[in-house]
Amino acid sequence: MNLMSKDVDTGLTEKITVSNLKFFYGSTLALKNISLPLYERQVTAFIGPSGCGKSTLLRVLNRMYDLYPNQRAEGQVMFDGENVLDMTDLNLLRSRIGMVFQKPTPFPMTIYENIAFGIRLYERLPKSEVDGRVESALEKAALWKEVKDKLHSSGLSLSGGQQQRLCIARTVAIRPEVILFDEPCSALDPISTAKVEELIDELKNEFTIAIVTHNMQQAARVSQRTAFMYLGELVEFGVTQKLFTNPSDKRTQDYITGRFG
Amino acid sequence: MAFLADANSQATAAAAARRKVLEGLRTTDVFFRGLTVSSAYFVLILLGAIFASLVVGGYLAFATFGFRFLTTEVWNPVTEQFGALAPIYGTIVTSLIAMLVAVPISIGIAVFLTELCPMGLRRPIGIAIELLAGVPSIIYGIWGLFFFAPVIQRYVQPELIAAFKNVPVLNQLFAGPPYGIGILTSALILAMMVLPFITAVCRDVFETVPPVLKEAAYGMGWTTREVVRNVVIPYTRVGIIGGVMLGLGRALGETMAVTFVIGNAHRISGSILAPGTTISATIANEFTEAVGDVYTSSLIALGLILFFITFIVLALARLMLMRIEKKAGA
Repeated sequence: MNLMSKDVDTGLTEKITVSNLKFFYGSTLALKNISLPLYERQVTAFIGPSGCGKSTLLRVLNRMYDLYPNQRAEGQVMFDGENVLDMTDLNLLRSRIGMVFQKPTPFPMTIYENIAFGIRLYERLPKSEVDGRVESALEKAALWKEVKDKLHSSGLSLSGGQQQRLCIARTVAIRPEVILFDEPCSALDPISTAKVEELIDELKNEFTIAIVTHNMQQAARVSQRTAFMYLGELVEFGVTQKLFTNPSDKRTQDYITGRFG
Repeated sequence: MAFLADANSQATAAAAARRKVLEGLRTTDVFFRGLTVSSAYFVLILLGAIFASLVVGGYLAFATFGFRFLTTEVWNPVTEQFGALAPIYGTIVTSLIAMLVAVPISIGIAVFLTELCPMGLRRPIGIAIELLAGVPSIIYGIWGLFFFAPVIQRYVQPELIAAFKNVPVLNQLFAGPPYGIGILTSALILAMMVLPFITAVCRDVFETVPPVLKEAAYGMGWTTREVVRNVVIPYTRVGIIGGVMLGLGRALGETMAVTFVIGNAHRISGSILAPGTTISATIANEFTEAVGDVYTSSLIALGLILFFITFIVLALARLMLMRIEKKAGA
């Protein structure tokens, strides 16, 4: 708790504030009273062993769990003064809080359409402007050079790493405020992983980012804040460097030194 | 040393035993292979035999009328003049109208069931659709004749005739007295009959869309309509076309229900409200009263034509699938 107030002292704004969040799969309690902030234009990493609830937490932030019956959340997730859990316009919410998934998920359409479709859905723009937005999104995802000559071939024709960057470009293109990454590199090779990490580091200049990862080095490399979760509880939350070098909880210590998990 | 030799002989004995077991297994494997191979060939032989007997049976009709058999709509048992055009026309038109009606509704039901339907309703609706598929066609036939056709006659056809009275082209399509029975009524009954099949296939293939792909689409802020149109349907189009073809195949060959409500008139009318006939309805209706070799042969020749139409539909479906797969790349 000390750490948190110090962060506020450093002048960071809380883009999303989670407080007393509980999450249920049916009657199973998967998140137990989670409270933490996501700071604007910072990368917050969520680490912890499988089943600790980190992906669940991410899926609460954009209400993805709403797609499934028998899943519900209690508590508060304040996002720009509104409780996400009470929102009714989920399409709007999800256009403001974008998400990139564990596996690359290009839509069954061309590379160009994968990006342009989302843009056109929200904004009526002349074609030249859409073209520009597609290009800049692909630039931001460091993919433009590789695909500029085959924009109209299928998104599925790209390699796994390229597909994942296409998904990032697609998410960036609709200009969300927050981007959630759910283990974005777990299906990628080391080179593609490095590219995506670099990308995340750059994206934080524009977006608030939350990333779930199994890879602790990755959390250490890309994030400014890290949350360690265990069995549905938030064990420790703080400045990444401190959490990895001088954790205050024994369980965090054990996890990051590889004693379990 | 003795110990080693002992171990050696033990190993040989084990190997011998194993070899024996394997030999036994190999014999059954040969038998099994023979069984599957002959089953596969049996299908081919069966298909060939059906085709051959249709050709032999229909030969007389083709020999008597030549190519004219396909291009004339006369069907006169008294003068023994037969032409297949009217039933071919009726078969194709009723099936096409049935598909036009059934496909959008089926896809709609499947979308509702997989994407929107509350969990508690999913099973009842699913079961109702499966039951609909299980209703024997004779029941569609009598229901069509005694209930559906009069309703169409009294309430639907007069409206259609009045609505399109002054619209060129369409007034031809919806012309004539409201008989009740006819091409349109048959097509609607056919639509009801194929609907559960197409729906079931669509529902099954919609469920194969990976949840993460749908989540990604919803995660972009898309509404269900966009997710369905741009992710679910493109992802499953091969399966959907398969389902449509399954339905079309059934519609083309459906006999009993159509025979009840089509009116069995051997003529081609520009109006879809007029009575007509289909290949299978003609065969079913007239086989018992077919006197004379040419008459019988003409009916068998009709069967051969239906065989070909179905074959062409399947071939076209394959071709379309290949095209789509090529276009989708990957």
